[in-house]
Amino acid sequence: MNLSELWHYKDLLLRFVRRDLIANYQQTILGPIWIFLQPLLTTFVYYLVFGKIAKVKTDGISPLLFYLPGVIIWTFFSECLNGTMYTFLSNTHIFNKVYFPRLIVPLSIVVSQSVRFGIQLLLFFAVFVFHLFAYHDVNPSILPMLLLLPLLVCVTAAFGLGSGLLISVFTARYRDLDYALQFLLRLFMYAAPIVYPVSMVPEKYRFLCWLNPLTPVIETFRSVFFTGKPVEVQYLLISVASVSLLLLAGMVLFKKREVQVMDII
Amino acid sequence: MSEIIISAENISKYYRLGTMGSGRLKEDFRNWFDKRFYTGRQPAGRRSVENGYPSPGTDASELWALKDISFEVSRGEVMGFIGRNGAGKSTLLKIVSRITMPTTGHIRGRGRVASLLEVGTGFHGELTGRENIFLNGNILGMKKKEIEAKFDEIVDFSGIESFIDTPVKRYSSGMYVRLAFAVAAHLEPEILIIDEVLAVGDSEFQRKCLGKMKEVSTQKGKTVLFVSHNMQALKNLCQRAIVLQKGRIVAMGDPASVIAGYLRQEKTQFLVSEFTDPMHAPGNEYIRMKKVELVPEYPDAAEIIDTRTPLLIRFEFSYLVEDPGDLIVGVHLFHITGDCIFDTASGKVSFGEGLIKGECLIPGNFLNDGSYYISIVFVRNTTIRLFYFESCLSFDVEDYRESGSWYGKWIGHVRPLFPVRLSRGENVDPSNDLSRNSSSR
Repeated sequence: MNLSELWHYKDLLLRFVRRDLIANYQQTILGPIWIFLQPLLTTFVYYLVFGKIAKVKTDGISPLLFYLPGVIIWTFFSECLNGTMYTFLSNTHIFNKVYFPRLIVPLSIVVSQSVRFGIQLLLFFAVFVFHLFAYHDVNPSILPMLLLLPLLVCVTAAFGLGSGLLISVFTARYRDLDYALQFLLRLFMYAAPIVYPVSMVPEKYRFLCWLNPLTPVIETFRSVFFTGKPVEVQYLLISVASVSLLLLAGMVLFKKREVQVMDII
Repeated sequence: MSEIIISAENISKYYRLGTMGSGRLKEDFRNWFDKRFYTGRQPAGRRSVENGYPSPGTDASELWALKDISFEVSRGEVMGFIGRNGAGKSTLLKIVSRITMPTTGHIRGRGRVASLLEVGTGFHGELTGRENIFLNGNILGMKKKEIEAKFDEIVDFSGIESFIDTPVKRYSSGMYVRLAFAVAAHLEPEILIIDEVLAVGDSEFQRKCLGKMKEVSTQKGKTVLFVSHNMQALKNLCQRAIVLQKGRIVAMGDPASVIAGYLRQEKTQFLVSEFTDPMHAPGNEYIRMKKVELVPEYPDAAEIIDTRTPLLIRFEFSYLVEDPGDLIVGVHLFHITGDCIFDTASGKVSFGEGLIKGECLIPGNFLNDGSYYISIVFVRNTTIRLFYFESCLSFDVEDYRESGSWYGKWIGHVRPLFPVRLSRGENVDPSNDLSRNSSSR
């Protein structure tokens, strides 16, 4: 991997980020307010469907607070994945005309999604601080929170990027994957504890649920912000390790295939 | 002597065309299986394989776009590439610009490469001209600081200052191209690769771009690789030229002679071209060519165009502009060396949409023997160039002379029969004549 070359193109990366952020909200009335609206509306729907109708337990956490981080983290992950897994298909016109390290494109998607994620985190903090002082119904552990939050962000981004890079090589070749992937991605959401707590999963299968790299991320988030329960360190470590491997595999395959892929697209 | 900056050794490029579909997965799996379990030995009953790829010509869906291409380019040299569509020029430029890799062979380049295989790569309609200058510049490998330093120059060159903060989707296609080219013209890579981008824009802007390119190569010592169908531009800009045909180099060297050879070899193709499929006919959203032909009025059964032969140029095209306006069609005749012999045009005619026919007669006893080509230009309202159909016809004029006249080569591109009259003057005494002259002084 040619790091100095990547560095040379850092301006391009930032430019792509800028393009995504500006172009996405052109000719919309509410503009960037959508960044706030999307998680809020989703949370509200989950609250109605899963909280009120299906009466899914929330581990004693106030429902709004319970759903919001899961929604934000899931959105971050799925947008990273969705953005990067079509790298070749959606940039054919540029890749066919100009050379630059192709990795710049998926990296820029992760950065611009991180910006959105950061803004949504601010929204979450606002809700969180309100609960902290108005209802006193949360029990945060400050030090682990500060230490672990960056790690959780990185694991989520790396999971999205790593799997996106791997898949991007195949979506270019086999177009059918598109349909399958969108379907699988929707199913996968329910494999992560977004609308339910892990404690609701039967003891026998709980281990499987923890193997999903997103499970420790979301559960750790809830522990350090809301319940103050001890973090399941062993599962978090497994998650970090598996995601690192995935990212490495994704980068290697992407780098190896980036030129050949353009001949068959 | 001078430093070699690009060297290509036996580059070949293999493409498998078409065949997307359900067979893909099966074939991929079979290939993978073969590679894994049959390495080193040729499986019986399988098709012939050359370096792991089928040999050329085994299947219509398989193609060697390039075959055994070798060349070197030194620092500061401008190299032109000529060839018909599909000859492999673009594939070759893509390999040099690292967009794709050769299937076999090696290419080495030294220095930063910027490729202009189209203008305005990555332009985003929603962004303003200003944002797009930065976006396009970054994509082409410029750094933010470089662009900032040249920003005013770029805007100035494009000539669209007043629209710089308008989203480019609101631009006319002309403005779009001007802005895109302005960014490209201010690139400063060591190696610049240009693919027919000059086929865009109005002629004044084209001249400006050519001038800029010349400046880049001569004053700044940049290496330029350049594909064009504009023989005049190639001849003016390049120090060397390469002719590609079906993926192979068929000629390389001094541009004037290489271009002459190319046009001569192409000539039979150019006496008549008819375009039955409007989708693929030359043209654009205003003009779509249907037919161009050169009809010689042969003096005898030999059917050879010689200096006596009147030549009738006929063309048909679909005029796609709805609102009425004046249309002028001009015919440009060039000598094979690129010198323009004449530029003549129809009068202003107002047409609606539809098929339009035209013709132009070059009388006999006008051209000298040699090779010529013709371009047709379509102009609207006397200023807007709708379409320039370049080098659409080319032909050779053979020598013809009555016995007994001059045997050497007639010089000049034309050989008109303007009367040169000789008559005998008054019979005067030379001494008288001399004295008359001296007295008048």
